[in-house]
Amino acid sequence: MHPIIRLVNRNLTISLNPGFLIWQVIFPLIYIFVAGFAYAPLIQNVPLGARDLDYPAFLASGMIGFNIMNSTLVSGIIIWNDRRHGMFEQIMSGPFTRSHYILSNICTIGIVGLVSASLIALVGYPVFFDSIEFSLITIPLIVFGAITGSVLFGSLASIISTRLRSSEGFNVIINTVFLFFAFVSTAFYPAEGAPEPLRSAFYLNPLTYLVDVIRAGIFGTFTEFVFYEMIVLLAMAAGLFIIASKLLTKLDF
Amino acid sequence: MSCIEVSRLSKSYGSISAVNKIELSVESGQVFGFLGPNGAGKSTTIKLLTTLIPPTSGSMCILGIDAVNNPLQIRHKIGVVLQQPSYEPTLSVEKSLDKYGMMWNVPKIERKKRLEQLLVDFDLKEIRKKRNEDLSIGQRRRVQVAREFMHDMELLFLDEPTVGLDPNARRNLLDYLKNKVKTGLTIFYTTHILSEAEYLCDKIAIIDKGKIITVDTPDGLKSKFGNEKTIKIHLNEERKEIISFLSNIEDCKIDFDNGTNIIIHSEKSEYILLQILKILNDEGIEIEDLSAVPTNLEDIFLKMVRENASDN
Repeated sequence: MHPIIRLVNRNLTISLNPGFLIWQVIFPLIYIFVAGFAYAPLIQNVPLGARDLDYPAFLASGMIGFNIMNSTLVSGIIIWNDRRHGMFEQIMSGPFTRSHYILSNICTIGIVGLVSASLIALVGYPVFFDSIEFSLITIPLIVFGAITGSVLFGSLASIISTRLRSSEGFNVIINTVFLFFAFVSTAFYPAEGAPEPLRSAFYLNPLTYLVDVIRAGIFGTFTEFVFYEMIVLLAMAAGLFIIASKLLTKLDF
Repeated sequence: MSCIEVSRLSKSYGSISAVNKIELSVESGQVFGFLGPNGAGKSTTIKLLTTLIPPTSGSMCILGIDAVNNPLQIRHKIGVVLQQPSYEPTLSVEKSLDKYGMMWNVPKIERKKRLEQLLVDFDLKEIRKKRNEDLSIGQRRRVQVAREFMHDMELLFLDEPTVGLDPNARRNLLDYLKNKVKTGLTIFYTTHILSEAEYLCDKIAIIDKGKIITVDTPDGLKSKFGNEKTIKIHLNEERKEIISFLSNIEDCKIDFDNGTNIIIHSEKSEYILLQILKILNDEGIEIEDLSAVPTNLEDIFLKMVRENASDN
């Protein structure tokens, strides 16, 4: 078995514990079925491109991107946990190179992101199945979003993991990042109609691009703007991945 | 056959020299003890030899492979138990052993066999289902050492592996290692517990301030540096005047403790003892107890480190 596959196997075993999986399903479910339906009487229709969506469908599709971010931020913490519990040094003294370690983490994050996106798509399907518009680009767009989003947020978590040692500092940073990304984005509400400068702030957030790409795939609202959003998402993911890899390569024992 | 050959190996961090031009040669199938006080350079040397960090200068040949240019090749053939704890907190003991074997590409059937044997050898059967984060420090350490035997290796580096172990577990581990050496394994063992080194090691190097002070067998070190013997005489009553009676004896250092204990340090202890006994007999001083303390590695170690510090 290739060293990267062995490390991915190990990473998935330590990441996918029952607590993590329950959290991954319960957390977005509460948003979709509690917040979604509770806000529905207040928010009648949400504009998306040339069409209108009901709020639960809008929110459920946003939750796919939200869950990719959530799960991959958690998976990115593998590096931090490995450093904290001496496993980074232990693995590096075994039959692995740093490239094996970095690539295995990215693969793990990608798998967790895809699984997580599929899980929420499955759970949220009853909510948005009325509005869904399948086309040739639906699945490729969702897969593109899931993979680039995973790499992006996983790299971000990896960067934070390489820079911080204390658990307090790490938790504060991760929670702050999480709060900003989750709520200053189009996951919960559309950018149209949001007051400035909040609306512009939405577009400083990679989750906005991720959610927009996934919604375009699900509801068939692919436009030129979404295409540019894909490019921005890809560029951000590539940039953060390069930074994360460089930091991991330089990580000292 | 030589298992480790190190020549003028150095590692510096800025202006600080952690390891300074050390020379080492470790024969296959032996336990090589690497002793030194805290901060002497033991762990840095292990990190260099296990290819975790590159040297600043010098050469290392491990198992016949150039370690500076082929680190991955070496890491396939060695096992490493680092000084710091390493564990996956959420995994159970048996799961972490199994996953570690999987990471080393050990086939599943073989993993299962080894796992069961290690659970017995390291007394882990009762805690096999416990998560690593719920274990005591000693239990976690046992798991960490046991885990390394899930895979095959030719050379094992152990960096203070008995830290946190109780005396029983410590002795069991040392005996386990002794048996492994009989099967052809070479062990590079760092410790600052000298009784361990004396019990386990075939050869010992003492490092201080990044430099190797000496390399020899435990017996060789004793005969080289341990000629001085200590003799303790306990009198049955306090006799302060004994200080003046013994003050003219040469070639020895005599300590008086509360007037009833006389402690003699000398390289000619037998000759000195005869003189003292004669004086005590002439003065009618009665002896309650007399004992000779054999030189141990700890005395040699402390002496050498102190001498090295004063030389610097």
